[in-house]
This record gives sequence, structure tokens and C-alpha cells, in this order.
Amino acid sequence: MTDRTDPPNTPSAQGDDELLPCGRLLSRTWDDWEQQTDDPHLRSCPHCRQAVHGLDDLESVVRGLQQETDTTAAAYDTEPLTRRIMDVVRLELRPGRPLPLGEPAEDLWIMEAVAARALRAAAETVPGVRAGSCRLLDGGGDGGDDGTVEVRLDIHAPADAPLPELAARVREQVWEAADRELGMVIAAVDIRVTDLVPTSMADDQEGGSA
Amino acid sequence: MAGPRTQSAPPDSRADTDDALLAVRAAEGDEDAFAVLVQRHAPALIRLATSLLGTGTEAEDAVQDAFLSAWRRLPEFQGRSAFGTWIYRIVTNRCLNVLRSRRPVASLEAAGDVAAAEHTTSPARITEGRDAVRELREALDLLSAEQRACWVLRELDGRSYEFIADAVGISQEAVRARVFRARRSLTQALGAWR
Repeated sequence: MTDRTDPPNTPSAQGDDELLPCGRLLSRTWDDWEQQTDDPHLRSCPHCRQAVHGLDDLESVVRGLQQETDTTAAAYDTEPLTRRIMDVVRLELRPGRPLPLGEPAEDLWIMEAVAARALRAAAETVPGVRAGSCRLLDGGGDGGDDGTVEVRLDIHAPADAPLPELAARVREQVWEAADRELGMVIAAVDIRVTDLVPTSMADDQEGGSA
Repeated sequence: MAGPRTQSAPPDSRADTDDALLAVRAAEGDEDAFAVLVQRHAPALIRLATSLLGTGTEAEDAVQDAFLSAWRRLPEFQGRSAFGTWIYRIVTNRCLNVLRSRRPVASLEAAGDVAAAEHTTSPARITEGRDAVRELREALDLLSAEQRACWVLRELDGRSYEFIADAVGISQEAVRARVFRARRSLTQALGAWR
């Protein structure tokens, strides 16, 4: 039993335990208490009962502490904390890739993360679709830098939707947003469905963003 | 240049998006997705940090530091565990470091001496009310950082030994030993002061 309470990294562990007058180790009695072991000895032995009584007392104070903590936590307004965190986050420059916009001759660029955010939002205008990873790669094949961009988009799709049609609609939305909102020329939109979401949830999502 | 465009996303489209998708987006630099994760997890983490540290100000700092650390490490996170578990672990470790820096090793020994007293001091005691809670708080301050962390995660947060071992980065046996020692110290402290 001592092996439960004497980890190899604490040489003096046995000094921490206590042999109760009934011959049981305190650690075992408490362990049985925690696991709610049905042991006749535990019910009949006065020493074990007394040892467990100490823990019961502690538990009742712990519940008081929990209530205090819950009350404090419930009253806590996370808004200022969130704002502070996001202020730092938005100031921190993530190394990102610039992508070309407009005509090849134009010197106009957009950061990948910013473009990806707009394209995800476009994909999510298709009911039930949730967008995940959205990577934008230089289009035009190997080493090609023809000013076009290839989109690789992961989505969660509604479970009952015909996927080819759904993908076509997502592609269309992404294409249109890239063209209309960003002025970005897209060479291809590769879509990967990474999860199928039950329809009821998809309906809720649709209602939430309509 | 395209800044205002990002506003075109429906404002509530992320509220029902699951953590895994939001974490992927945040890893790719989507700050708005990260903001949703912060809002979603901050209340529980503040509660956790307050339990671990005992003070609100330090708890806020620990949670803030943990989220900033998460933001920087997200690109390498790659969803190996749930985001909630990951950030829970980061907060726990932040708090552990705060506790370690707070407490000299000497007080650890002192707490051990207290523990040498007879544990079964209690006749029937009334252990309710604010006084008992205050005494418990004081007794918690006498625990070692590891004992306190393991005990808080177990007793106040109701976590399994397996979960705690993973969060703190020690073996389950070591967690059990620390919870046991914490319980001994705490039962003795509460008994001795009555």
C-alpha cells in the first residue's frame, strides 16, 4: 500500500505516513475514503473512522472555500482582461507572408493572415459551413510567380449536404470575395472537408449568422 | 489596406465555432478567432488561477501571461490536444512558477515539522463559516508549491490524478503523494487552530 504514497523521488516519504493504532497506514485509510471503498474495517475501526472524520471536516471547509471562489469568479468581469490580452496580441507582429494583389505590374500586397480571414468569412456565408485552416500559396505552378494565388481551405460541412455542390458554392463565394473584396487573382481553390457536422447544429449555426 | 474588410465577417459567426477550428485560425494569425478563445476560456482560467494563487491580481497576470504565451506558441500547437486542456496546462505551470518564486524552501521544512504532530486532533468540530475558510487559506500558504497545486486541482477543481499528473508534468504516484501530504498538513492545521 505504501507504494501509492511513496514516490521514488521522495526518500523520506514513509516518514510522512502514519501507522494508525489498528495497523493500517493513514494513507491507505484516506485512499479508501476517497475511492469510497466498501470495507467493513473502515466502518468498524474507531481509529480509521477518526482519521476519516478529519478529512470530512476538511471537506466541509473546502466547500466553503469553493463557494467563496465561485462567488468571486462569477462576479469577475473578463472583458478588461480580454481587451488587455488582445491589445498586446494585435501589436505583436506575426511573421507572415505578403501576397500579390492586382495586376502583376502593380506593387500592391496583402498579408496572408488578413486575406485568409476574409476568405474564411466568405466560405462561411454558405449555410452550415465553418472554415478552419486557410492557406494561400503562390499560384502559377513550380517557382511561378505570375501574381495568382492558390487557396487551400479546410471546412466543416453539414452532414447531409451533397459535398460536390457544397464545395462548388464555397469555391464560388471564395472566388467572388477574393475578386470583389481583395482584388486578388485566384488560380485555384482546393477544399478539404475535415469534419461533417450534424444537421441540427448546422441549422443553429445558420440561424446564428443569418 | 484590407483592414476594414475583416469587419465583413458576421460578428456572431465565431460564437458557435468549436475550439479546434478557432485554434487553427488563430495559429494562422486570425486575432479575432483568438479573441473568441480568450473570452470563452478566461472565466474558468481566472477561477483556476485564483484557487491556485489565492489572490486576484496575481491570478489575472498569470492568465494574461498564459494567453500571450499560447498566442506565440499556437503555430507549433497543431491541435495535439484540445485547446482548453492546453491552455489549462499553461496556466497551471505559470501559477506553479509564481508559487515557487513566492516561497523559500525553508518554509517547506517548517510545514513538514507541523506535519509531525498527531493528525487525529479532532473531536467533533464545527468546520463551517468564514473563520474556517480563512484558516484554510492560511494553511494553504504553508504548503509547498507542488503540494498546493496538486491539492487545488484535485479538491477545488475536481480533476483526476491522471489529469493532474499530465498538467503538472509529474507521475500520478507523485501527485497522490503530494495530495496526501497536503491533506495531512491541512487537517492538522485546521485541527490545531481550533
